[in-house]
Amino acid sequence: MKYEAVIGLEIHVQLNSATKLFCDCHNRPGDQPNQNTCPICLWLPGALPKFSREALEKATLACLALNCTIQKESAFDQKVYYYPDLPKGFQLSQHHRPLAKNGWLDILGEDNDVKRLRIHHIHMEEDVARLVHETEGRTPVSLVDFNRAGTPLIEIVTEPDMRTPHDAMEFVRALRAQLRYTGSSDCSMEQGTLRVDANISLRPEGTDAFNTKVEVKNMNSIRNVADAITYEIRRQTECLESGEPIVLHTRLWDSEKNVTTAMRGKFSGPCIPDPSVPRIVVTDAWLQEMLNRLPEMPGQKSARFLKEYGLTYEEASSMTQEQELSEFFEEVVKENLPPRKIASWMATHLVPFLRDNNMTIKDTPLTPKRFAGLLFMLENDVINANAAKEVLTRLLSSDQSPEEIVEKGRLRQVSDNAELEALIDRILADHPSDVEDYRNGNPKVKGFFMGLAMKASQGKANPKLLKEILTKRLS
Amino acid sequence: MAPDIFTYKNPLPQTSTESGVLAGKKVVIQPNMSVCGWLTDAGSLALEGFVALEDATVITRLRNAGASLIGSTRMSELGFGISGDRGTQALCGGEADIALITDTMGEARVAAATSGLFGFKPSYGIISRLGLIGLVPSMECYGIMAKSPEDIIATIGAITGKDENDFSMPDEDLPGFSMPEESPGTKGVSGVIKECLSILNDTELRAFESVIAKIEEAGVTVKEVSLENFRFFQAVHNVIGSVEASSSAGKYDGVRYGHRAASARNWNEMYLNSRGESFGLLVKAFLFQGAYFQFENYPAFENACRIRRRLIRDTEKLFEHIDVLALPTRRLHHDPARAATVRETYDAFLLTLPANVTGQPSLQIPSLGLDPGADPGLQIMSPPLSDARLLATGMRISSIIQGAKKT
Repeated sequence: MKYEAVIGLEIHVQLNSATKLFCDCHNRPGDQPNQNTCPICLWLPGALPKFSREALEKATLACLALNCTIQKESAFDQKVYYYPDLPKGFQLSQHHRPLAKNGWLDILGEDNDVKRLRIHHIHMEEDVARLVHETEGRTPVSLVDFNRAGTPLIEIVTEPDMRTPHDAMEFVRALRAQLRYTGSSDCSMEQGTLRVDANISLRPEGTDAFNTKVEVKNMNSIRNVADAITYEIRRQTECLESGEPIVLHTRLWDSEKNVTTAMRGKFSGPCIPDPSVPRIVVTDAWLQEMLNRLPEMPGQKSARFLKEYGLTYEEASSMTQEQELSEFFEEVVKENLPPRKIASWMATHLVPFLRDNNMTIKDTPLTPKRFAGLLFMLENDVINANAAKEVLTRLLSSDQSPEEIVEKGRLRQVSDNAELEALIDRILADHPSDVEDYRNGNPKVKGFFMGLAMKASQGKANPKLLKEILTKRLS
Repeated sequence: MAPDIFTYKNPLPQTSTESGVLAGKKVVIQPNMSVCGWLTDAGSLALEGFVALEDATVITRLRNAGASLIGSTRMSELGFGISGDRGTQALCGGEADIALITDTMGEARVAAATSGLFGFKPSYGIISRLGLIGLVPSMECYGIMAKSPEDIIATIGAITGKDENDFSMPDEDLPGFSMPEESPGTKGVSGVIKECLSILNDTELRAFESVIAKIEEAGVTVKEVSLENFRFFQAVHNVIGSVEASSSAGKYDGVRYGHRAASARNWNEMYLNSRGESFGLLVKAFLFQGAYFQFENYPAFENACRIRRRLIRDTEKLFEHIDVLALPTRRLHHDPARAATVRETYDAFLLTLPANVTGQPSLQIPSLGLDPGADPGLQIMSPPLSDARLLATGMRISSIIQGAKKT
């Protein structure tokens, strides 16, 4: 039997407000342990929660960016459970009345069709303390760091609309892009400010049942999300085929062994309305103010790039993933260069460089004007693609103009007919047997000669011209 | 100076402010009200040795008003009931003019009624709860006990008002308090609840009716009104109160302060042992009830919340035709000082807990001279945030009762 996966995600995003959700402590979980604490986040007797307006604003911007409807009224509940990471015996979370409902994001499915994935709701909650397990001598000890306790999170709960690891990966990518534009969160899976849990169940293809699901946690990159889901689909398929029942439980992804392992069943306690945190009542004026603060979102921008600049869907989406890159792209477009050429050079050369060096454009001396200068020379055959890569590397590390770099580095393309003819004649003369081979019908030899000629010109030969001359001389 | 009255005596009670509405007044509080440096154990082993780090907002305001903070008097564990309270003894023994006591189900009013004192529970939310170690956040507030209504008015005037650190206070303007002027106008309409009277036994009914007769003679109109669901107040308070208490007491785990069990094999056992050894029987039973509704019978809790909203609406409606509600303060045969079970405790506070459920202000007025053992007390209630008017009415009624006695 063929099975189809039904996948829903629960995504925790840590908001980057200056303070914690219910007190004035710094929202800096990474500081010296227990440095950012006060009677409220330690929940000492007599403490009362305050409420961070900034956290509410950032949460609201995030919800709007994910196309959700902000609820007129929302409220916090106490999620009751006892664990050392919770100083008060309950976690404050919007269980019954979330901040926002009914959102969506569009992604490009594997079949290249646009697919709309729905979001059930988004609620605010506080993070819990971090536990550190160590040993003192031979005694195991658990230490509690309350820096993270009370920091603001939003949890995004999707509908089970995803069917493949690809869908899930694209959804997380699109979500991350949208949220980063709002400035509400850094959304780094590596840093733990974006945490993705996946609920996965299987059903026979063509049916529409929702079967027992398994939750998978602990993925710390987008790639991991896809890998963990792929693994879990395979594991569940094997279970079903061998007649083993699927039981509701949680599994942890092990990114070193590439497997998921079962973790102890999680106890889920009751949720009762909290009497001390104020209800959130949203006015139209305030909501309008929030809407006005939203920049053009990557989804909208991508649609505009598609239309205005004739980019493909992939190009438009890669040019809009990050706000800074998208603005850089549009600045370069203003210099009257073909948009697709710009997009292609940014996507294949600039973005990988930034990623590999963990930088943003602002960290480099590159400006739209200097990048445009480089592309101009490429367009006008002043330099070839090889040299252009070389120039780009230097543009990213020095202040020289692209023209200077070309002159000083002698990177200018050789388009002088006589010079190239002489070069080719010399090579053909040195390799008579290969010429013979070509004339006997082995076309591959032509590529061999092109390589030799390029090398001899130190990569500066105009490849188009070179090929013309070679073809003429060989025939 | 009986040592068993106080858990902490302030060596330097005088404040530097000599003006202020409470200048020269001696005030006692309880050890669930935070004063920096004072033992603040809320009468429970669960907070054994806990010393407050900051002053409660109320403490700051008492000091600013010139009050002398004499000390903390003994209290029942976590403020549940009054069997262990000693605030009234400090008042009757002359060691204090004013006593603060948390009123969760009527503690201030019932304790005052047993000692021939005035006891006041203000509207919910007009006094900052910051620094109050409570148990039932949606129902409790600072209650005030004193020998005279003037001292109560001065105290509430000093401690009420917005606190930017208590986000649960209402958005509405809070009432202002000043000494009421003689109003020559109407004497007002008091309502008595039919369903409440039918609960009372003959002795209680006779005592209450004689008080009502006095104020009626003095020109106050008395009307019988009906609050059909009056009998639900107790269950609603019990269900919601115990659930909130179970949540509030969840933080007492013996990890950061309070009693910690001597040995345990793991953290879970440490929680269980520490909590098991910390709480007294009465509180433990109450917390168990709350946990039952949280974990096993959540629909009952939801029903209680719905009925509570209904009770608030129904009670509010009564005030379309009357100015204040008049009820006895306590049952004569249910001694709050001896209540040993949750049921007995609730029976002893049956007549005061409605104001905690609805958030209304309520004042206990003593019938001075009457033997406290035979006096069920007189309690008047008015709509939320009408505290100033209620206190003015209370002063008038009190002078009627006293005047009637003199003649």
